[in-house]
Parts: sequence; C-alpha cells; structure tokens
Amino acid sequence: MIPATTKQNIQPKPRKYNNKFRLKNGLIGWAFISIATVMICLFYFYPMVQALILSFQSGAGTNLQFVGLDNYLRLFTDPAFIAALKNTVIYLIIQVPVMIIFALFISVLLNNKKLKLKGFFRTAIFLPCITSLVAYSVVFKYLFATDGIINKMLINVSLISEPIQWLTDPFWAKVTIIIAITWRWTGYNMIFYLSALQNVDHSIYEAAKIDGANAFQQFFKITIPMLKPIILFTSITSTIGTLQLFDEVMNITKGGPGNATITISQYIYNLSFKYTPDFGYAATVSYAIVIMIVVFSIIQFKVAGDKNA
Amino acid sequence: MKKLLALIMVSMLLLTACSSGASNSTEPEGGSDSNQITIWAWDPKFNIKAIELAKEAYASENPDLKVNVIENAQDDIVQKLNTSLSSGTTKGLPNIVLIEDYRAKSFLQAYPDMFQPLTGSFETEDFVQYKVEATSVDGENYGLPFDTGVTGLYVRTDYLTEAGFSIEDLQNIDWKEYIEIGKKVKEATGKRLLTIDPNELGILRTMIQSAGKWYVKEDGTTPDLANNEALKLSFEIYKELVDNDLMNFHSDWNQFLATFNGGEVATVTTGNWITPSIKAEASQSGKWAVVPHPSLPGMKSVNASNLGGASWYILDVPGKENAVDFLTKTFGSNVDLYQKLVTEIGVIGTYIPATEGEAYKTEDEFFGGQSIISDFSKWAEEIPQVNYGMHTYAIEDILIVAMQNYLGGQDLDKVLEDAQQQAETQIK
Repeated sequence: MIPATTKQNIQPKPRKYNNKFRLKNGLIGWAFISIATVMICLFYFYPMVQALILSFQSGAGTNLQFVGLDNYLRLFTDPAFIAALKNTVIYLIIQVPVMIIFALFISVLLNNKKLKLKGFFRTAIFLPCITSLVAYSVVFKYLFATDGIINKMLINVSLISEPIQWLTDPFWAKVTIIIAITWRWTGYNMIFYLSALQNVDHSIYEAAKIDGANAFQQFFKITIPMLKPIILFTSITSTIGTLQLFDEVMNITKGGPGNATITISQYIYNLSFKYTPDFGYAATVSYAIVIMIVVFSIIQFKVAGDKNA
Repeated sequence: MKKLLALIMVSMLLLTACSSGASNSTEPEGGSDSNQITIWAWDPKFNIKAIELAKEAYASENPDLKVNVIENAQDDIVQKLNTSLSSGTTKGLPNIVLIEDYRAKSFLQAYPDMFQPLTGSFETEDFVQYKVEATSVDGENYGLPFDTGVTGLYVRTDYLTEAGFSIEDLQNIDWKEYIEIGKKVKEATGKRLLTIDPNELGILRTMIQSAGKWYVKEDGTTPDLANNEALKLSFEIYKELVDNDLMNFHSDWNQFLATFNGGEVATVTTGNWITPSIKAEASQSGKWAVVPHPSLPGMKSVNASNLGGASWYILDVPGKENAVDFLTKTFGSNVDLYQKLVTEIGVIGTYIPATEGEAYKTEDEFFGGQSIISDFSKWAEEIPQVNYGMHTYAIEDILIVAMQNYLGGQDLDKVLEDAQQQAETQIK
C-alpha cells in the first residue's frame, strides 16, 4: 500500500552506491572462489581431459600412438577385463544388499531406547571403519590362511574335516573378500542410518503402537520409508566403493587365484605397473569405471524415484 | 570486473608456471654434485648389503666419489621408474637402479634412450651367457649382470631315507622321475613333495627355461603358447603333481617359509636365493641337500634353470660416467668382491672368473658338507639363454587363468589356444 510511492522516492539516490557496493562485493566473492575454481580446474578437470585423450592412445611406456576407438573395442574382447567386471558385479549384487540390510538391522537394534551400553556397541561396530584398509586386509589374510585361526576354529568345532582353501580356491576367495568388505563397511553405513533414525519423530511410532502395529509393521511401514533417502545414498556410495575396490583384493588375494577375485581397479594397476605399462589402455579402463558409476547412479535414482534424494 | 578477474587468473597461472619452472631447472638427484651418485635397490639383507660391500671396495681406491644407497621396495622402484620415465622427466631418478631380469626389457624398450648403453664397458664373455642375453636389447648391453637365480632342488635327506632313497637317486632326474619319487615319499612319510603359490607360475618358468623355451619366441614379442611343447608338458606335469596330491598350496611368502621350515614338504624347488631362508631353521641342519633341478622328460632339456635374479642399470642422467666407472670396477671386474658377496651375504654372482675363488668352494655343514655355491655356479653356466621379452608378467597372468581352467578339467590344447589368442590381442 504505502511502499509503492516510497520505493520510487528512495531508490534513485543510492543506486550508484548500491551498484558499486555490489560490484565490490561480487569481486570479493569471486576472488574467494577463484582460487578454488582454478585449483579444481588444474587438479581435477585438466587431468580428466588429459586422461580422456590418453584413453584413445596405446603403446608401451612412452611409445604412445593414437588408435582411435580401438581401446574401447578391446574392452569387449578382453577376458581379464570381463573377469574383473564379473567379479565386481558379483561383489555388488551380493555384498551391497547384505551389508545394507545388516547395517539397517543393527542400527534399528541400537536405536532401541531400552538398550544399555549403547555407546559401547556403537563404538564397537563403527571401529572397523577407522582401521587402515591395508592393515585390516593383512589381518584377514592371516585369519583366513589355510592354517589360520578361522580354519582351526572350524575344524575344532567339527564343522569341517579338511581346512577350507579360503585364499586359493576361486569360490572361497570371493567369499573371503565379501566377508572382509562387509566387516569393514557395515559400521560405516550403520552410522548414517542411526543418525537418520534419530531424526524420525518418536510420536509416529507411538501413534502406530496405539493403532496396534507390531514391530515388523513398524519397521517396514515407518522405518524403511523414513530412511529411504539415506538407503539410496548409502547404496550409491557403496556401489561406487565396490567399483573402486582395490586395497582389500590387492592385499588379501592379489586378484587370484587366476583372476577369480580381480577387480577393475586392480586391473588398471596391473596394466600400468605390473605389466609393461600401457597407460593408454589403463586410462580407457578407468573411463569404463566412470561410465559405469554414472549409469548405476542414474538407475538407482530412477528406481528409488525420489526427488529429495 | 572481468578485467580484474582475468588479471588475477593470469597472475595465478603465471605463479604456478614459475614455481614449476623453477623446480624443473634444478638438477636431478645426485647430478648437482659431480662427485656423487645415487643407487636404488630393494631387499636390505641381500641387494643393499651387496651394494654396501661394493661401495667399500670402490672407496678404497676412489675415495672422492660419494655413493648414496637408497632402499626402496621393488614395487616402489617399478612404479617410480614408470611414472617418472613416462612423464619424460628424470628429476629425482637415481644414477644406478636394480631391475629384475624379467622386467628389464620392458623398461629398456618402453623407454628407449633413457638408459645408458654399457657395450664395451665390461667383458661380456666373463659373465654367464643367459644373463648377458637378459640384459641386452638389439645387441646393445644395457645392464651389468648381478645375481643369478640359478635353481636347484632342495631335498630333505631324512625323508628320502625313510622312503628308501639316497641322494644319488635324485641326481639329474627328470620331472616324471621326480613325481614317482614323490609318490613313494608321501606314502612313507605323509609329507607332500613341494609347495606352490597358485598365483605365481615360477615353477613353470623354470621348467620351460630348462628346455630353452619361454612364453615368447626368440624375437621377444611373439607369444609362444599354443605350439610350445615344453609349456604343454609343463602344464601336464603341474596337473599330475596336483592330481596326485603332491602339491601343497601357500598364498604368501611367510606361509611359503613356514611350510618348509616346519618340515611340511620333502623338497623345495626354487632359486638359490632361498638358501638363507632354508638355513634359518637351524634345527634342520644336516637334513638338507641340493641336487640339480629336474629336467623336462623326452625333449632337449638340461638339469639347470633360473628363477629371478636382477641386474644393475644406469640411467641417462648427469653423473652417468661416474656410475659406469663404479659398476665396472666393482661388479664388473672385482673378483675379491665376489668372494665377499658369497661369504658375507650368500649372493651368487654371474661373474665366471670369481668362481675360481676360495669362497666358492666352502663346504656347508648345513647341507651335509656339500659345496653348494660351487655346484650352483656350475649349473648357472648351463642355463639355456632365452629372450625374456617385455611381457613375462602379462602373459603369466593369462597362463594362471589357463592353468585354473586346465585343472578344472578343460582340454589342454584348447586352453593354450585360448591363452595364445588372448596374449596376441593384449601384446602389441
């Protein structure tokens, strides 16, 4: 009502000052982010573009030549790459769901108001996440050795008569890797669920109880829907983590026996440092990972169908 | 505003450019001071000790040169060399570097002109021939041969006696005879014959090299898998060892040591560098002997082979003249140094004149008084020379898969045919 006129009256005067101020303000802002921008361009985008260019070249060491799309076509006929991809997919479809269900389950248990020693259990389950990847891999390697403690334990309780070849049998080696990464990362995902659960209003549960919902119904009808964005987030990060899996496999089985546990990241390492280096083809394989991560993420967003996520 | 922004950007770019330019102009490590060279090697108990002895020997005559020995893990050396050399900078690289023989050609050919040729700097005839071949490319010598990986068959004499064999029964045997002996030993003692890491086919390499064959043909680049009779026979022998339950599996070095130190296996077939580890179990003194490596039956094959071994290479960076002088006056010609290497570390060199020395003839009580060093050096001279080529480890990874498939019941010819095809597409 009143502003219409007053606005016109006041505005003309400070405009010049305002513009100047805005310019100065803007400049300061730009100056602040310019450093970060330049750094990101220099250390992030520039190497990415270089790697893309590199992925169209092939050759030993410095004798690189442009080969067009040959590297990308080679991916489809390369048994080692296909084996790595297959292993990664197996880890993905078995380990990620197992871990997420496990983490959900533990977090719901730990969120129980009546539980005692909550802090202790939370710390204990989260603790694996702060151990070094290499250190825990080495420990697992010894635990699962042919004469390791796991085999000794299983034999002593008469579950098995012969030691299981955890590390040298193609099937059991995969199982070992899956057990190892599940141990390492479950607590990490649990923390996300726990924090999300604490944001869920307790009155919802009370209302459900009054309406006669049992624990299962509460879990599936309230907890899961409330945690959906977090489940989506954790499954995306776990997927990406699995695609980049390297330390565990490198240290526990070295990818063996015979490519039975090799991952894409380890194959990149082999191409660059174990064999006569072909950095061009190695870059191609890394771009294959990039493409897959993008595709998986899109699928997960679509499946979850949530705009909030 | 845009101008200012652009100005800031440009100045920042210049700043970074300047700073990197400044560091580029600094001399490579060891090169800034003309009287200083840097050496990279791995294994403090073996290679580093050897280079320290060489340093002492050299310092007594040339006290002016300062030699820096830097210890790195082998994997780290490989990575550092690959990343530095492929980026085209020699900054931070040493003057002398130790490279495993199987990998040497990969470096020499992938990074031409980065290494200093040594042709004529030392007498190649004085060195074991297979070693000279391993360190040369196109007739040009690039490496000064260091230790030999000459293999032997370490056997537990007490287990053999229990099964009714004497050490004479194992002299110059072939793999088939070895398996037959193994069966009887297992019957008598319950011990398996040998232990193997299924992720590493070193045993296959020793088998085929004893027949003068390798994963690639003489040119060093053509994969030789499908029609390689020696390789085919080696696959069959490997499977026979597995099928008869004569093979124990380990998955890393410590388990490997624990297996024979704990008396779990009757023999160890590997390079002579395992001697210190075998002797580490003092309670087994007198229970071991070393016999010649088994040969491949039914083909031209000798009772000698090689597993591992490394050589010294000089990078084409300032200070290379000093580096050449250092190497040729120590590992290239110093007979006394080689005696010390044997007595103090147990390194068996490949310098033939050194084998006449006293140290080589020492009898070893641990091995029942056998002069194992002189035996090993005798076998080293018999090792057939092969061209390792650039792709040993790449092909071996293909073969590890092939071996799994073969053990899983697939047809051998088909398995090797597939491996051949895969190797051909991977290797260019």
